[in-house]
Formats: sequence, structure tokens, C-alpha cells
Amino acid sequence: MKRKLLSLVLCVTLVASMAVGCGKKNNNSATKDTNSTETATNETKTDDTKETDDTTTDTTTTDTSSSELAYKGTINIMHFSTSEEAQGNGGSDGFRTMNQQWADAHKDIKLEQNVLANDEYKSKIATLAGANDLPDVFLLQGMNTKAWADQGLILDMTDIINTSPYAAQYDLSKFYPFQYDGKTYGLPALCEGSCAIVAYDSELWKAAGFDAFPTTWDEIVSAKAFFDDKKVTEVAFGNRDKWNMNSCFLSTVGDRFTGSDWYHSIIEKTGAKFTDQAFVDSLKFTQEIFQAGVFNKDFNAITNEDAREYYIDGSAAAVIGGNWDISYIGATLKESDPELYARTKFAVIPQPAGASGSTNTHNTGMGYAVAINAKVADDPDKLAACIDLAYKLTGSDFSTYVAENYALSALTKVDSVDMSKFDQFTTDFYNFYQNPGCEIYDSFLTGAVWDVLNTDLQTMVNGEIDPETVAANAQKAYEENY
Amino acid sequence: MLSSIRPKKRVVFFYLLIPVLIYVFSVFVPLATAFYYSFFNWKGGPNKTFNGLENYITLIKDINFWSAFGHNIYLVIACIIGQIGLAFIFVLMINSRYTKLKGIHRTFGFFPSTIAAVSIGFIWSMIYDYKRGLLNWLLDLIGKGDSAKVWLNEPKLVMLLIAIPLIWQFIGYYMVIILSAISSIDQEIFEVSEIDGANAFQRAIYIVLPLIKNTLLVCVTLCIAGNMKAFDHIYVMTSGGPGRSSMVMALYGYKVSFGQQNMGYGSAISIGIFVLSLIVILGSQKLITYFSKDKEVA
Repeated sequence: MKRKLLSLVLCVTLVASMAVGCGKKNNNSATKDTNSTETATNETKTDDTKETDDTTTDTTTTDTSSSELAYKGTINIMHFSTSEEAQGNGGSDGFRTMNQQWADAHKDIKLEQNVLANDEYKSKIATLAGANDLPDVFLLQGMNTKAWADQGLILDMTDIINTSPYAAQYDLSKFYPFQYDGKTYGLPALCEGSCAIVAYDSELWKAAGFDAFPTTWDEIVSAKAFFDDKKVTEVAFGNRDKWNMNSCFLSTVGDRFTGSDWYHSIIEKTGAKFTDQAFVDSLKFTQEIFQAGVFNKDFNAITNEDAREYYIDGSAAAVIGGNWDISYIGATLKESDPELYARTKFAVIPQPAGASGSTNTHNTGMGYAVAINAKVADDPDKLAACIDLAYKLTGSDFSTYVAENYALSALTKVDSVDMSKFDQFTTDFYNFYQNPGCEIYDSFLTGAVWDVLNTDLQTMVNGEIDPETVAANAQKAYEENY
Repeated sequence: MLSSIRPKKRVVFFYLLIPVLIYVFSVFVPLATAFYYSFFNWKGGPNKTFNGLENYITLIKDINFWSAFGHNIYLVIACIIGQIGLAFIFVLMINSRYTKLKGIHRTFGFFPSTIAAVSIGFIWSMIYDYKRGLLNWLLDLIGKGDSAKVWLNEPKLVMLLIAIPLIWQFIGYYMVIILSAISSIDQEIFEVSEIDGANAFQRAIYIVLPLIKNTLLVCVTLCIAGNMKAFDHIYVMTSGGPGRSSMVMALYGYKVSFGQQNMGYGSAISIGIFVLSLIVILGSQKLITYFSKDKEVA
């Protein structure tokens, strides 16, 4: 009898726990009350008075968030600054440090962090958005702004930004990818990054006859014989994951052909088309140069992580990647190969022949912003805490930390950075940002356009599809989805 | 006698309740909700608009989906031949009286099917790697260095190259099933056939095959079902690339749903996969039954 009773109890417990698990998800999916935003904003405004300027190293202490918040529950935050990512990466390190400082200053609030690698983060956050189950605070990618704002998933942060204690110091141009219909939906996070940086071995290129990295692709092609003799790849690139060719190559090369007005017109839907001749020319150039043999043969089969390893192990004379790749290369070479570390210099992508839209540009910006789930507005106290956290993650503490430790800039401007304490690698990287910027294509529009274009690009550089068809498919996806 | 040890109906009911509930929640509920969402223009989030059969009309016209379906069929055919065919041959070899250390052969044969598909993907990516891969190294070693290729960037070869790890992984799985079927055949039949002068090939074709026909039918069904939902190791190895050269239906559905955030159409693709899988499985069963009946009559 006892055994029967026990098995019955176990069965009921198991079934009950399943039912609870399944029903747990939407405990606060009630109505959205966006009016409560304002009230909460006023509450948080009082937090700014104790700002301190003596934030110098990673032991930075902060007062920004030390004031009492009424909320005493849990805040979920999801981001991609993993501990591995933070190695040498100022933005990630700063983000993690600010999170920790905020959690330490608010012991009575439980800050639950869900940290994933970037690729997994993008998949998971899209899944959660689809299920209307976003975390309280998360990183919003520019291209999702319009769709998620239309769905009412993300909080309109316009007033929160205007009344921020750091409002006067914000670099307003950074908000562009996160603005839609006159409203702003996020505080640009992490650091200003470039997606198209050439890191090269200056000695090797000097031996090839170039005192600095070539400024035209024709020169790169002419140097091919030299590097072939040395059995060294001229330029390493990885496009297995398909987004790389768009983010780290075409965004810049496209700008060189079309100029920045063309892409602004695409974003604002004022007449430009992917089928415009200048953009098609940039695709033609992309196809030609990737078939010219100056890149590693396996560029379509390896990731950007593999490509940067080719540079690190000396089998490539240069690599094209984003600032995240440069951070990794710097951190690794500093330990493993200080000589190559010292020889490494930076350049913008060379100018394609026939491109007259712009010169020396590199696609740069802040691709992610700290955003708040619209549902949080139902609880003004919780919203106040989330806003406080968002200020902390993007405010002057963060900017000072990354400026002083990594010579990087972020949303909140820092008066001046003492460059004397940094080595040549970091100084050169800092100076690279003096080159003119252009937009990062996939910080805008929608994933539906980029998924089509990125897939076609991979096929195109294999010569299986022509640039005109790629442009037509992108235009079709653009018209249907944006 | 039997009724005295048979558990009471309500005990049986409770024991069954848990797996049935898990099955319902993990299979039927998602399927039913996907069917419901497939009638909406839904980009994720709370807002969606009913658009009737529009998603299904798009699906029928979507050449990318049908190309992915073609790749699944390629995988099914390659794996029926590669997995079940090779498993059958290996089992006959292991069962031969000349084979030593049968247990070791069985264990090592089965071992790959215990490895996660993602790990299999990584292992074979390393084998196919252009610079450091085993395959190109081997070609170089035998003096065929010129034949070295960026294997996973070959649109015409990539489906075969991703089928090979799948075949390798599951040969052992089908070996175990076929082995148990063969071991249930009366040994006397083999002995008699040997006395009559049947060679190994004749024994395999005229004795073993007809006697394990039903088991093979189960194997074929499992193989089709498994390959119609192929996803993991392709995601790891090529992400469907280069371009869409190795795109399969499940991966396409995933990319549409989460990459393009088109949940409504993604749901329609899921239902499309379900319906096509049913048609292929039922069709193949009918086909096998038809041909085997025909043979029996003859």
C-alpha cells in the first residue's frame, strides 16, 4: 500500500512540475502601459548627482548607481560579453565590469545574467522576441529596431535618453540605427567599432615593396606573385557564416562605389535601389577580387576566427576583420609573438578601381544598444532599476573605463584620453578611427534582406550566380520585408 | 495466472501518462501551433495578421524550399544505400565464421552513433579542412596534392561530403538492428544451404534478405525519417552553404523563422516538412510492399 502511495505521489509531483514549468512563462504578460515610463524616468533622474571622475582602472568604484532603488526583485539581462570575449576586448570587458559594479551596488536586486556567444545570442534573442518573451534588459541589434518596435516588444526610450544624467555627453550620431518613427529604442552599448579593418604585417609588406599597406586593389593584385613565392596568403578572410562578406567587406566597398547618400536613401526608403548601377558595380568588384586569388582559397569555408588565426600563425600577410578580431589578434600576439605584435599595423580596405563614391571609408558605428522589454513598464519600480542599469552600462563610468584602459570610445564622450601610456599597437588602432566612417549595412533594414543577400554573396563569389541577380534578389527581399 | 501478475489498469494508466504527456507537449502541441501560425503573416511578437493560404502558396512556389527538399531526398537515397546497405554487408562479414573478435567489431561499429551530431560535424570539418585537413594531407602524401580542394566550398560535391559523416555515424546503429534480426534466423537453414552448395552471396540474397525483409523495412523507415529532419551536423559543417548548396528543409525552416524572423512562413515550412516526410515514408513503404509482393507471386 505504502509503495502504491509513494508511486502515486511521485507521479503527481512529476506531472505537476511539468504543468508548472509549462505555465511559468507568461506571468507578467498582461497589458502594456507605456505611460508608466515617464514616472519611472523621473524617479531615476535623482540618481545622477554623485557621479565621480576618478574612474581609472578595473578597480573603478562608482557612485552612479549607489542610491537606493525601490525595486527589490530580479532583473534578467541577456548579452554576449562572455569571459572569453572579454579577453583583450575593451567593450566586452567594460560591459562585464559595469554589470558587476551595478550588481555589487544593488545587493538587494538579483541581477540574473544570461551570457551567450554572439552567434547564439542573435539566434536566441530572435527566438525570445518571436515568443514575446524578451528578457528585461538586453542588447538590441540595429536591424531589429523597426520590426520589434512595430510589435511593441521594446520600450520607447526617447524620454529616458533625453533625461539621462549623461544626455549632454552623448554622441547623438550613435543613436541612428536605433531610431524609428521619431523615437529612440536603445542606448548604444559597448564601444564604437569598425567592421572592416585591415591588420597587416608591415615588415612583410615592406619586403613586397610597400612602405604602407597598398591603397588600391590593383597594387594588391600586383603583389600576388611575391606572396605566392613565399607561400603566404596575401589577405586572410573568413566567410563561412555568410554575414562576414556583408559586414566586413561589402559595407565599405559598397560605400566606395555608391557614397553614403545611397544607403541613407535605402534606409529611409526615398528611392535608392539595390539594383542601382553603382551598387551592382560594387558586387561585380567583390566577385572579381575574391576570384583573383589574393585571398585564402578557403575563404568561403572558414570563419573569421579561423582567418585571424592564419594571420597570427604567419601564414597570411594581412587579414580583414572587425574590431573584435583585432582585439583578439592583439591579445594573442602580445603573449605568443611580440615581434609580430610590434610589426602589426592597420589600414582601411584599399580603393577598388572605378569606385568614386567615397575614399578611405570604413563601416563603423555601435551595432547594439541596451534596450528594455516593453513589459517592464508595467512595474514602475522595476523599470526605474532597469533604466539605472542601462545608464550604468552606457554612461560615463563605462566610457571612462574603456578609454583609459583600451583607448576606445563609446556613447558617452570622454574629454581627453592620455595616449602616452599605450603601446604602438593600441595607439595605431586608436588612430585608425580617424578615417572617415560609413554605415554598417546590417545595422539597419531587416534580417530578411540580409539573409537573402548574404547567402547570394557566398554563391556569387564562387561564380555560381551573377551580381545582377544578387542585386535583384536583394531588392525583392527589401521591397517585400522593409 | 497471467491476470494475477498483470498490474491494475490505473497503474498502467499512470505509468503511461507521463510519456504520453511528454509526447503530446513535445510533438503534438508544437505541430498543432505551427499549423495554426502557418495561416498568419507573423514576424514574431504579439501582432500577427491572418493571411489564409498565402504562406502555403508561397511555399509551393518557393524554389529554395524545393531545392532543399531535393537535398533531403539525396540524403535519404545516399543513406539508405550507405547506411543500411553497408550495415547489411558488414553484418554478414561479422557473422562469418572466419571473423575473429566479433565483439570488438560490433562495439567499434556502433561507437560513432553514440557521438553527438554536432561533434561529428566538427570532426568531419577538420577532416575536410583545406589547410590542415586529413583528406588533403592524405592526397599530398600519395602525391596527389594537386587534387586538394576546399572541399566544403564545392557546390557539386558538398552534398556527398556531408552525407559521408551521416553514413559513417549510423552504420553501427543499423548493424545492431540487422544483427539481431539475422541472429533470430534458424542456423539450420544456413547449414542446409551450405550442404546444397549455396555460396555466401547466394545465402545473403536468397535466404537472409527475404527472412529479414520486415526488419529492413523498419530500417528504411527510420532512415527516411532521420534524414528528412537532418539539421545538426550540416549546420555545423556548412550552415547550408556554399550559398544554398547543402541547404536541407529543416535548416531552411530555421533560417526563415529565426534568421529572417518570418515565423508565419517558417511554420508553413514546418508543416510542409511534416507532410512531405509522411508522403515519402508512406510512399516508400507502399513501393517496397508492392515490389516484394510482385516477387512472391512470380
